[in-house]
Amino acid sequence: MDNNIEINNITYKYHKGRTVYEDFSLQIKNEESTVITGKNGCGKTTLTKLIMGILKPQSGDIKIFGHNTKNLTLGQTGEMIGYVFQYPERQLFATSVMEELTFPLVFKGYAKDVAKERADKMIETFQLEKVRDSYPFFLSYGEKRRLAIASVLMNNPKYIILDEPTASLDSERIEILSDIIDKLKDNKIGILIISHNEKFVKRHGDRIINIEGGLILQDEKL
Amino acid sequence: MKNYKMDPRPKLVIILVLSTSALIYDDIFILSIILLVSFLVAILIKSNLTAVIFKLKKIIILMAAIAITQSLFIKTGNPIIKLGIITVVTDYGIIRSLEFILRISIIIVSAAILTTSTSREIVQGLIQWNCPYEIAFMVSTAIRFLPVFKEEMSDMVIAIQLRGIDLKKVKLSEKIKVYKYILLPIATNSILKARDLSSSMEMRAFRAYPTRTSYMVLKMQKFDYMIIVLSISTLLLLLIMNYR
Repeated sequence: MDNNIEINNITYKYHKGRTVYEDFSLQIKNEESTVITGKNGCGKTTLTKLIMGILKPQSGDIKIFGHNTKNLTLGQTGEMIGYVFQYPERQLFATSVMEELTFPLVFKGYAKDVAKERADKMIETFQLEKVRDSYPFFLSYGEKRRLAIASVLMNNPKYIILDEPTASLDSERIEILSDIIDKLKDNKIGILIISHNEKFVKRHGDRIINIEGGLILQDEKL
Repeated sequence: MKNYKMDPRPKLVIILVLSTSALIYDDIFILSIILLVSFLVAILIKSNLTAVIFKLKKIIILMAAIAITQSLFIKTGNPIIKLGIITVVTDYGIIRSLEFILRISIIIVSAAILTTSTSREIVQGLIQWNCPYEIAFMVSTAIRFLPVFKEEMSDMVIAIQLRGIDLKKVKLSEKIKVYKYILLPIATNSILKARDLSSSMEMRAFRAYPTRTSYMVLKMQKFDYMIIVLSISTLLLLLIMNYR
């Protein structure tokens, strides 16, 4: 059971009073690539934020790999699960692609050489060689998205959550992203994707969950 | 009186009076009275005082740190704490620190009075006081973007922690570096936003005509005028009493 994400009977209401989830439960297996679909505002992003501990449920528990998120700091959750926001610019901080990838490891006490070596591999995997010294803010949307994924993978997480990864990407960029997701699967990294892109959902989903009004409408294993 | 809704202009005058009197007096007793008056006015105007107290709670550590630093650098007065021959804290230093805390609290509470009006109403009030539209627009833009920056800041703090950086475990010296990483994208974003905003303003023909028409027109009631007169008279009286 320790390899799962378990959501047990959670209730979550926004501050303004709207209930998003009531007594909601879900189990997600690490080895499966799970896709969550649903209409805008149905609570998909809220669900991933609850898993990451960014939002706290009013009742119920969420366990990631056996750890209750109530007892974890965001830093500890981030080490286990990489979270890529819908808008990648919200998670880019440094003045160059190389620094973006290395600075968290340097803060955590890793030797600069080790961090740089790991970053070089990421730059190669994510095809960011041409922009390694560029300011992340001025990269194209596709490059920003790839850099955001690469930077969360620098922590070697067991699992990765991608919120609307295909948003604002053309078909060529989606293809590059799909190849990267395939590589992640090959490296046994579990994936949870939020997406509306039907083709993308079918290509990457081992399990497709459709949510509406805080309820699971459909839970299909392919 | 039952349906009375205060115009933003008397509120601006009240804030001006409260903050000016907080600056002209350096007596703890009088400053405490001004703070009490600020709280009373805020309650009467139905400000969200809980949110204000929450804000005060959040910055209390910062206020205390500044107050302590200030007291350490004031050497006049009777020493209270001494390390050998070095005077660390004096009674005068403590009094000055308390004055600082009271002044900041007065400014925060009086700012809460203004939150009972929308930014649009405040801007309209300024325009009807013949404040140049450009300046009023700048004020309104600044107010309009404050929640956006707040949200961005909080998202960035969350995002950097999700990269595995535990802010509670990071040393103070390192924490400054972490905040540098947070502030850099916010500053860049602000510049980009300002650029976009100016382009869209140009496209919508901002300042194309010398005069502007407003959908919203504020009208002051008798009670508003009375508040303004009373506030200004009080301030003048305080100024005369202080400099006599």
